[in-house]
Amino acid sequence: MFRETEPRMPGARRRVVVTGLGAVTAAGWGVAALRRAVESGQTAIGPFTRFPHDRQRTHVAGEVPAAPAGHPWLVRTQRYSHADRFALFAALEAVTEAGWPDSLAGISAGVFFGSSTSGLFESEQFYEQLAEGAPDRADRSLLASHQLSAPAETVARRLGISGPVETISSACASAGLAIEQAMQSVRSGEIDVALAGGADGLALTTYAGFNALRAMDERPCRPFRADRAGMSLGEGGAVLVLESLDHAIARGAIPLAELLGAGSSCDATHMTAPHEAGTWAAAAMRAAIADARITAGEVGYINAHATGTPLNDAAEFAAFRTVFGDRASTIPVEATKSVLGHLLGAAGAVEAVSTVLCLMHEAVHPTAGDGEMDPSARVALVTGAPRATPGLRYGISSSLGFGGANAAVLFGRWVAP
Amino acid sequence: MGVDALAETLRGSAMKTLTVDESQGYHVPGASRRAVLSRGVDLSAWVSPAAARRMSPPSRLAVAAAQMAIMQAGLVGLAGGPSTAIVMSSSFGPVTSTEQLLDSARRDGPMSVSPFAFAESVANAAAGQVAIATRAQGPNLTIVQREAGAITAVGRAVALIASGRADRVLAGSVDEMPPLLHALLGRFDALARPDADGVEVARPFDAGRDGFVAAEGAVVLVLEKLEAARARGVRWLARVNRFGSAFDATAPRIGWGTGHGPLGRALARTIEAAGRQPSEVTRIVSGASGAVDGDRIEAEVLTEAWAGAPLPPILAPKAHVGQYGGGFLAAAMLSVAGGVFGPTLGFAREDPELGIRPFSGGSLAPSPLSLITTMGSGGSASWLLMESWESGAA
Repeated sequence: MFRETEPRMPGARRRVVVTGLGAVTAAGWGVAALRRAVESGQTAIGPFTRFPHDRQRTHVAGEVPAAPAGHPWLVRTQRYSHADRFALFAALEAVTEAGWPDSLAGISAGVFFGSSTSGLFESEQFYEQLAEGAPDRADRSLLASHQLSAPAETVARRLGISGPVETISSACASAGLAIEQAMQSVRSGEIDVALAGGADGLALTTYAGFNALRAMDERPCRPFRADRAGMSLGEGGAVLVLESLDHAIARGAIPLAELLGAGSSCDATHMTAPHEAGTWAAAAMRAAIADARITAGEVGYINAHATGTPLNDAAEFAAFRTVFGDRASTIPVEATKSVLGHLLGAAGAVEAVSTVLCLMHEAVHPTAGDGEMDPSARVALVTGAPRATPGLRYGISSSLGFGGANAAVLFGRWVAP
Repeated sequence: MGVDALAETLRGSAMKTLTVDESQGYHVPGASRRAVLSRGVDLSAWVSPAAARRMSPPSRLAVAAAQMAIMQAGLVGLAGGPSTAIVMSSSFGPVTSTEQLLDSARRDGPMSVSPFAFAESVANAAAGQVAIATRAQGPNLTIVQREAGAITAVGRAVALIASGRADRVLAGSVDEMPPLLHALLGRFDALARPDADGVEVARPFDAGRDGFVAAEGAVVLVLEKLEAARARGVRWLARVNRFGSAFDATAPRIGWGTGHGPLGRALARTIEAAGRQPSEVTRIVSGASGAVDGDRIEAEVLTEAWAGAPLPPILAPKAHVGQYGGGFLAAAMLSVAGGVFGPTLGFAREDPELGIRPFSGGSLAPSPLSLITTMGSGGSASWLLMESWESGAA
């Protein structure tokens, strides 16, 4: 029960804007690399070297390239997990753009992240040592970043953050849900600034697991294509600085976009397959649209979850039909996973960054891959080159996860008053 | 299993532990060999054997706990739908399933991994299975914030209701404690060591504390609006007044830091934001577990928040229920409601650096205002201010 006779927090619905972006993906380290990749229409998914995969069914992934040598943001991180380093770099890039290069100490700030694998790759190495028969020599420091909360805590520690630090692990919907929680925290006045995002690293067991489900394509994924055959795994991290509009204005920051709404739901039907009719994915999107206080007819861009599996894309299109009616086949759609792969717990974060970039530049990114469109899931996929969309106002990003978790976040292009 | 069993445990004079299976050779000599385990607990009344076969241990525990909570709340057949959310927490996720994946990939190659084990290895498997079992179609979150996760889950659940995103929330915590995880906790010197007689005891706040006793289990609370509970004529256990959380940036990746000052001030601000003073808090339920540094910062944060003023009675139920598995969350709710509680197990000698003597046993009246605190390793801290039924029945 909650005492509703007095307000929980002052300022029950503050406007929330985006003032910084950061990203590390298969395209490279930084948002500039991400933008080049998503605007190119070319996939960054391909052969990878993180772990041996000669005994796996597939051999491609969206692997992050080597970090820029000697980068100051990665000093003394050699013993961090890959996911921690992705998170740290993306966070520092985001806060630097937002105007805080060194620290957020003394600022009412928190961190809300999504993660599904975190330091699992490093933990796999520990387990290998443990199982080799010399348990006393297994390097327990490899477990230091095993916890799913590690990337968020790494960021908070580095930036001196003293507010709430929370990680959500709801599979592929993790980062979308984290962005929603961050929005609520800023909107309610609990904090003024939130670093919202996620980070995940490639891991052998995850790769093997998706192959065990026969969910991965041997080629880079081709969302919404008639002959799509599955997803492609990726890795990386992405962070958005979310801030109350008043706080941003007071310090002279210029918003990049506005986070207008978010919604979430659960299929409650199956642990791995999405609800066939997309009913509850649609509910999450409708909730985000309602939360944003706009209408479905005003949404001009969709960043789809679009893994490339036959079931997901079909269910997602069904959800689009439920929400947007016939416009489901005319609203421009981007399937970011075709370029970067599926970042699992961080997917919603990198796709939110891509959504903001589309709104900022009023152009929808192309989706990589070729092939005929699936006639039963005929979305308006942009291909080849960015499609100019002058006047684009609102974009929605959806995420669907194992366990039936669904999340949707809705951004608006920033229009100065 | 069940609330009555927990209440009996809290009155008891000994922690109920079992010997951990060490046949896999993970445990190092001299380390802990005991934990609070669910071995032998019959969940069939709450989870059908057919359904249980498709679930990992945490999923089975969580579904059983959720069904128990729904029954106690008088919501059988009514708990599902788009207005019901689920917010679960876990410190480690499904370890057994993850270990199974690792082991099969190592022994027989990656193509041998089980798709079932993979699906049940995700941290939100329990939350997903609870949703399927209850048809709860609202928001579904799994918070993974170590020892602070359970209280954070309740706090975020309350926020869902307050914001209108849900009418009710099944909120809770679940963890399993398989031999691998238990052994690794021992390798990190986190567990209470056996004494000369082989007895392992967590000693919250005690000068001789040397670690916690690990536990597994699941706890689910039904959270709903006051008006809805009144309309159904049900008696509630406790009411959430305020939630707060903060982070200690001095904490290392493993362990606790030295940031009791900022944490204590953040806690004081939460109390102040509730329109209350620390002097109005009639009971503290502390997440102290027997961890050397964990208990230290629990004590330091309270001392900071109270600015040196005398603290109210402090309960440390992890002395009875162990660390992880949600037992602390459930014990905290019972502590708010009042009852008979045994002395804090293992406490014999006050640590002069902490200056805290936890509850020595007896009958406790319902608490008008309770503070529940958890300081997680790695830096996260969260707390709840709560009122008992009697204080809020009007």
